[in-house]
Amino acid sequence: MISVLAIGLVVVTSLVVGIYGVRAARSTSDFLVASRRVSPNWNAMAIAGEYLSAASVLGLAGLLLKNGLGTMWYAVGFCAGYVAVVALVAGPMRRSGAFTVPDFAEYRLGAPRLRKLCGFVVLVIMLLYLVPQFKGAGVVLALVSGTPYWVGVLLAGIVVSGSIAAGGMRSATYVQAFHYVIKLLFIAVPAIYLVAYAGPEVRAQALHPEWGTHFPETTPVEFTVDTRFGLDEPVTVTAPDGTTIDLAAGDHTASEGTRYVFPEGAAVPHPQGLPDLGGERWSTPLLDSGGYPLFETWSTLLAITLGCMGLPHVIMRFHTSPTARTARRVAVGVIALLGLFYLFPVVYGLLGRVLTPQLVLLQGTDTVAVVLPAQAVPGSAGTILTALVAAGAFGAFLSTSSGLLLALAGGLSHDLFQGSVPRLRLAVAVGACVAVLLALPAEAIDINVLVVWAFTVAASTFCPLLVLGIWWRRLTLPGAASGLIVGGVTATGAVGWSILLPTPPGWATVLLAQPAAWTIPLAFATMMAVSRLTRPPDWAEHAVLRLHSP
Amino acid sequence: MRQVHALGVDLRDGLHGRSVHAAAKRLRRLLSADGVVLADLDGPVAGHGGRPDPEEVESLLAQVFEYGGNARTRLGDGTTVCAVPLTVADELAGALVACGDPVESDVEAAAALVSDSLDHAALRRARDRIAAADLRTLRAQISPHFVHNALAVIAALVRTDPDRARHLLSDFADYLRYGFSEKGDYATVADELEAVQTYLELQRARFHDRLDITVRMAPEVLPVAIPFLVVQPIVENAIRHGLERKEGRGHISVSGFGEGPLCVIEIEDDGVGMHPELARSLLAGTGPESRSIGLANVDQRLRAVYGPEYGLVIETALGEGTKVTVRVPRFTRGVVAQ
Repeated sequence: MISVLAIGLVVVTSLVVGIYGVRAARSTSDFLVASRRVSPNWNAMAIAGEYLSAASVLGLAGLLLKNGLGTMWYAVGFCAGYVAVVALVAGPMRRSGAFTVPDFAEYRLGAPRLRKLCGFVVLVIMLLYLVPQFKGAGVVLALVSGTPYWVGVLLAGIVVSGSIAAGGMRSATYVQAFHYVIKLLFIAVPAIYLVAYAGPEVRAQALHPEWGTHFPETTPVEFTVDTRFGLDEPVTVTAPDGTTIDLAAGDHTASEGTRYVFPEGAAVPHPQGLPDLGGERWSTPLLDSGGYPLFETWSTLLAITLGCMGLPHVIMRFHTSPTARTARRVAVGVIALLGLFYLFPVVYGLLGRVLTPQLVLLQGTDTVAVVLPAQAVPGSAGTILTALVAAGAFGAFLSTSSGLLLALAGGLSHDLFQGSVPRLRLAVAVGACVAVLLALPAEAIDINVLVVWAFTVAASTFCPLLVLGIWWRRLTLPGAASGLIVGGVTATGAVGWSILLPTPPGWATVLLAQPAAWTIPLAFATMMAVSRLTRPPDWAEHAVLRLHSP
Repeated sequence: MRQVHALGVDLRDGLHGRSVHAAAKRLRRLLSADGVVLADLDGPVAGHGGRPDPEEVESLLAQVFEYGGNARTRLGDGTTVCAVPLTVADELAGALVACGDPVESDVEAAAALVSDSLDHAALRRARDRIAAADLRTLRAQISPHFVHNALAVIAALVRTDPDRARHLLSDFADYLRYGFSEKGDYATVADELEAVQTYLELQRARFHDRLDITVRMAPEVLPVAIPFLVVQPIVENAIRHGLERKEGRGHISVSGFGEGPLCVIEIEDDGVGMHPELARSLLAGTGPESRSIGLANVDQRLRAVYGPEYGLVIETALGEGTKVTVRVPRFTRGVVAQ
């Protein structure tokens, strides 16, 4: 109940900040204050606030718990993305005056058709990114209020589109900066408290993974989905009616709704196909789901790092900076703020492995950050901590999905259906509906898997377009268009296949699940090859020059 | 037919465009001549195929330009060369020279075709110039209007409050520098706001401080480029026609925020308002002469720059105040603040 209140409070506060956040100047002498440009620090906080999504707050800790230490590479990638942004696009993008990637495409290549194509790619990326956000919000709401998952998702959709319609994003900079603070506080404070409260023994266990393969105390486990799990040694569990059941070592199937109470010291069962918690595969600092850890790690890292610059809602925030120089300073600030934040999901992941290993079995690792405080700290303190984390997670959802929805609605109303009077609110409602509908069947898919999908598509489409558009004057319209299509289709198709359809074994699995390492070079190569065959427009030289002249 | 059309496209930019050589090649094929030369009044500009000596061409051109009619000559190898004048707007503009026994009437028809294309090119250039001049006139329309008001205010204050008059005068100087700057047609929202500030400072002096002002600008729209002097005329209109006639204190608020890809600026006053019909006629430019300057002008310029759907939106009723909304894309190709 406290959690629901805390979430409500976050929503209401951000609405107030959004509508009245801009200080009103009452006399003319205040005018210059009002018209002073936003400082780089505020802007950096706003970008970080919009960027830190449910994937960072919930997904990262969950994936760490489930797949092992290699997951930390995600955090590295999320930060490193801004290094690429600073080095390659922030300054020139600001000089072009373009607000979105489609704007940039029109500026650089001057074709309304390419603008439409870019608008479509924006749509795909934004939807892929929105679905995990709604999933995260649905899971959190379901957890704290006890409603079914679909109610949570629906509610989240109503809250976010309602807040945009009410003007909650009017002063987007202040809302998003506010959300960064909320997220940092609500995630960091419980994390620090938990580390202190857990005591030396749990801390030691958290840092030495091999100790965490047994239940620390008698633990009830409820299976919310049908699960096949494996046991390394026989265990005697208790059913709710008091009867005891002997489970032999080997594979077992638990149907939906089954409740078992595992005794203290029993081995933690692990779902089929996942690494043993704390085992050798878990502790290897590489991403390893299909047996080719080095390739998988590199590919994921590439997708996240290069995908960052292609995310439409990220790139448009640099438009707020008055000059190219401040745009770069802002991006550097963002790296620092993100680096600070990503310390904390790791805490939840590591502690979660010791204190809430049952989540792996329940395929509910995305909730570890919310479940952990109540498990670790009994009584009202735990409830309050849970409320904080839940509110922080919901804030993450709210800020990111507001930004995403607006970018998506902008793409719909401005780029795809250019010429008609922009109907932004309608587009927001449509976008929210589609995202909610897609999120409903996505409960079983990990947040970060979906987020990386969005990053992969962005890295294989907009990253080549921006990098070549800024740094290579021979880029042509047919080149850009064919690169976008090739990159977009291969990246979307490969990851989609690996998630939705059975994949062939061996190398193919990894190549499909983490395709960035081949789709990005493919998109670059297509753009360059086709551009070589065609003639760049007359003004290309001039357009590129303006991107780089101070 | 396609060749004829393509010829027109090649000559889009006149005799000095990039595709004039392609046009010469096409003409040679159309006339099935040995060679073709296109010349302006200064001499040949483009040619294709085998050509006679430059002196021969020069003398032919001299004949054409002197008598304004066709000229032909027989070369040493027995073929004839024929030159026909090109006329644009009834004035001699150049000549078409074809060699290799061409049929004279064909060359004349081709010359007529080329003349028409050149005429079109000239008209097109003129149209662009007119559009640019229109924009400049519209811009200039605002300034004298305001200059008069401002100087009147300052003149009234010179005796009673010299300090303030001096302060206002320096504000006014800043404003003029902005208003008359030759930097380009676009400014950032932040620059516009400063202009509005100076304007309101001057107006407050005139209203003896019975004017309340609220400004609320989301920082993310400040660097957005918009056409020069868009906000100020609307504020001016709100004061002149909304608040001036109102008894007691008046309130005007200027707010700006982002709405997805759009930048929205709202100017709201609680003055006397106007009849919606009047607002409509003002935007259409058919309103009473005394009021037809500000809003219609801004509306026209916004439409000219961003397209017909981005005009001003006026919400008003008699006695209900007025709210004017400017809604423009944050990025439009070619709109860059200098």
